[in-house]
Amino acid sequence: MTSAMKSDSNPRPGIPALFTQPPPIRDPLITETIDLQNATLEKCLPFLKGIHSTQKDFNDHGVPALQRDLHISYLYDALEDYPEGFVAMDASRPWIVYWALAGLAMMGEETTRFRERVITTLRPMQNPTGGFGGGHGQTSHLAGSYAAVLSLAMVGGEEAFGLVDRHAMWQWIGRLKQPDGGFRVCEGGEEDVRGAYCAMTLISLLDLPLTLAPGSQAREAGLESLTSGLPEYLSRSLRCADTRLQAKHLKEVSPVALGRRPMAHTPFVLWHAFLSWGPPEEIFNRHMDIPMLVSWLSARQSAPEGGLSGRTNKLVDGCYSHWVGGCWPLLESSLEGKPDSTEPPANSLFSREGLTRYILGCCQGNDGGLRDKPGKHVDSYHTCYVMAGLSAAQNHHYRTDSSVASNNFASSFSWKSSPSRDPANVFSRGDRLEPMHPLYVIPHKAAEQMRLWSEAQPLTI
Amino acid sequence: MEGRYSTDPEWASVTPIDLDDGSSSGAMPLATIAYPAEYLEATSYLRAVMAANEMSERALDLTKDVISMNPAHYTVWIYRAKILFALDKDLNEELNWLNDVSLKYLKNYQIWHHRQVLLSSKTHFPTFPPKEADFLMEMFAQDSKNYHVWTYRHWLVRHFRLWDQPRELEDVEFLLKADVRNNSAWNHRYMLRFGPRDTSLPDAGMVNAGDLSTAPTEKGRLSIVDEDLIDGELKFAQEAILRAPENRSPWWYARGVLRAAGRGLAEWEGFASGFVSEGAVKSSHAVEWLADVFAERAGKEAEAVRMLTMLKEEFDPIRKNYWDYRIRKLDQAVA
Repeated sequence: MTSAMKSDSNPRPGIPALFTQPPPIRDPLITETIDLQNATLEKCLPFLKGIHSTQKDFNDHGVPALQRDLHISYLYDALEDYPEGFVAMDASRPWIVYWALAGLAMMGEETTRFRERVITTLRPMQNPTGGFGGGHGQTSHLAGSYAAVLSLAMVGGEEAFGLVDRHAMWQWIGRLKQPDGGFRVCEGGEEDVRGAYCAMTLISLLDLPLTLAPGSQAREAGLESLTSGLPEYLSRSLRCADTRLQAKHLKEVSPVALGRRPMAHTPFVLWHAFLSWGPPEEIFNRHMDIPMLVSWLSARQSAPEGGLSGRTNKLVDGCYSHWVGGCWPLLESSLEGKPDSTEPPANSLFSREGLTRYILGCCQGNDGGLRDKPGKHVDSYHTCYVMAGLSAAQNHHYRTDSSVASNNFASSFSWKSSPSRDPANVFSRGDRLEPMHPLYVIPHKAAEQMRLWSEAQPLTI
Repeated sequence: MEGRYSTDPEWASVTPIDLDDGSSSGAMPLATIAYPAEYLEATSYLRAVMAANEMSERALDLTKDVISMNPAHYTVWIYRAKILFALDKDLNEELNWLNDVSLKYLKNYQIWHHRQVLLSSKTHFPTFPPKEADFLMEMFAQDSKNYHVWTYRHWLVRHFRLWDQPRELEDVEFLLKADVRNNSAWNHRYMLRFGPRDTSLPDAGMVNAGDLSTAPTEKGRLSIVDEDLIDGELKFAQEAILRAPENRSPWWYARGVLRAAGRGLAEWEGFASGFVSEGAVKSSHAVEWLADVFAERAGKEAEAVRMLTMLKEEFDPIRKNYWDYRIRKLDQAVA
C-alpha cells in the first residue's frame, strides 16, 4: 500500500521530529490496546509528515491549509436532504442543524439566512408540555432541546427566540430535576451529567426562573431551585482518585452521532455545567482537585499524533479537540490569567501546535468535512467539534468585568476572546476560524442576544 | 399508500398521525431524511398510539418494529418499557431479545438504559440474575472498553450490592489479563474495592465526592482502612506495572489506592526509582511519580525540577507547557 510505503519516507521540511517519530518509550508487551494504537499511528504518520497524496497547500511549518471552501460546501450540503440510510438520524435532526450552523458560523458564514428554515424545521419538534424532541411526535429531550435552542440563537431574531415556549420549558425542566440535584435527559430517561449541562445551558440562555415549578418531584423532595444540590451532584460525578478522572456518566451529548459510535465525553460537559453558573476561580478551587484535573487533562494529548483522546489508553479522536481541548481556555483563564482579568492568559498549558497539526494534517476529508482520524469518514458531528477545537486553539478566551446578564449567570456572559498572536502558531492566516463562546459553543453575539431578548421578556410564574 | 398497518384489520381503529416536517409553512425544512415508506408508516401509527397512551400488545409489537428499523429512536424505547410493565410481560423474555439487539448494535445507547429500567424492578428482579454477568462478558469480548456496558455494570454492582461477589473481581482480572491497559477494567476494580457503598446516599465516583465540606484533595479517602487490602491492591498494581511500565492505568490506580488509604506517594519512591536509572528510563509515569514525591519534600525541589525537566525535554515533550507550568509552581513555592 502506498501509505505504508510512505510512512518510511522523509517528512516535509518544517515539521519537528516530535510529530513524526514514535514515542520515546514503548513497552515490549503487545496487547489489543497497543495493536490499535500502532495501527492508528501507521495511518496518521503520512499525514503528520505532510506526504499523503491527498494533502495540499502547505505552509512553512509543513501544515496543509484549511480547505475552507470544501468544508463550507460540505456544511451547506449537510443541511439539505439525506438518503434513506440515514433513518438512524431521525431522533437527532436538531443536532444536524446545530452542527452545520455552528460549523458555518466558525467559517464566518452568515447563519441568519437560515432563520425561516430553522424555525420551520424545529416548530413541529416542540411539545406543548415543554421542550423539543428529536423530531415530530418524539418525547422532549434535553439534548435535542439544547441543539434546537442553540440553533435558534444562531439564526437570531424575534421570531426565532419567540418560537421557544419558555414557560412550558421551565415547567418541563422542573419535572426533569431529580432529588439528588441532577437532571434526567427526558421523562422516563436516564439521569446523567449531560442532562445537567444541557439544562444549565437552556436555563441561562433563556433566562428561565430558578424556582422549581409546582408539582416537580424534586420540589416535593424538599428542593427549592433548579440549581439546588447541583454542585454536590456534579462533584459526585467526578472520580478524582481513580485512574481516569472523568465524570462517570459522561457520554455523548447527542443521542446518536451520525450513526457513529457514541463517545465517553470528558469533563467538558461537567465543567461547563458548573461554570454556566459560577466564576471559574470559585468553582475550580472549591469543588475540584485542580492538580489532578490538570494532570489528567494534559495527559489526553500524546505524540506524535498531537491530537486528544477521551480516556486513558484510548485512541486520539478529532472530536476531543473540543470535548477535551475546549476545557483548556477555561482552565488557562483561571490558572494563568490574572484574577478578574481582562487580559488573555499569558501561558498555554497544552500544545496548541500539536493539536493544530493533528486537525489540519489528519482530520480534513478529501471532499470537505472533518473526521475522527485518517481512515474514518467525515460527518457533521466531527466537522463541528474538530473545528470548535481548532477555533479554541486559535483564540484566547478570558472573562471581563462586564456582562450582558443582569442577574443570575453574570459570569457566563462575561467571556471575551481575542485571536492568538503567538509566534509559535503553525497555522496560516487564511486558516483562522471565528471564536465561539467557550460555554455555549455558538458565537458570543448569538448567546448574548438570546440572553438579552429573554431578559426583556420576563416570565410571570 | 397501502402498508403493513393500514391493511391490517387489527389497526383499523387507529388513525395514524402523519409526519409534520413543517413544510406546510411554505419554507423548506432542513436536514430532511428520505424515510423508507415502512418507517414513515410505522412511526405515524406510533405517534397515534402514543398520543392515546395505549398500553397494548399491538403497540408493543409496533415498538419492536420501529426499533428494528431505528434502534436510536429513544422515544420508542421509553414507550416500550412503559407497556412492558403495564402489561406485566415476561421481562426475562425481553432480556433475551435485548441480548441479540445489543450484540447487533454494539454502540447503541438506548438499549442500556432500557435494560437498567427492567432490572430496576425489585418485583421482577429481587436478586441479581447471574446470567447478566455472562452476557456482559459476551459484550466485552466484542468491545472490552464499551462505555455503556461498563456504566451499566457499575449500576448493577450498586443496585444488587455486588462489590464482594467473587464474579465481579474475576471478570476484571480476566479482562486485565487479556489487556493490562484496559482502563475501564481498572476503574471497575477501583469501584469494587473503594467505591462508596452507602446506597442510602446518591451514587458517587468515590467516597465523600459530593460532600462540599470535604476538601477536594481529601475526597476518596476512606474513614476505615483495611491495610491488608490496600497492600494487596498496591502489589497487584506493581505486578501490572512490571509487565508494562509505560502503562498509565496501574500507576494512576495506585495513586487512587494510596489516597483512599491516606498514605502518601513516598512509599513507592524505591519502586518508581527502579524504572528511572541513568540512561535507561523505562516509564515516564515513574518519572512523574518521583517528581511528585520530591515536590512534597522540603529541600528536594531541585530534584523535582530535574524530573519534570526530563519529562519536558525527553520523555513527554508534547506536554512541555504542562511540565513548565509544574516547574513554575515549584519555583513559586520555593521563592
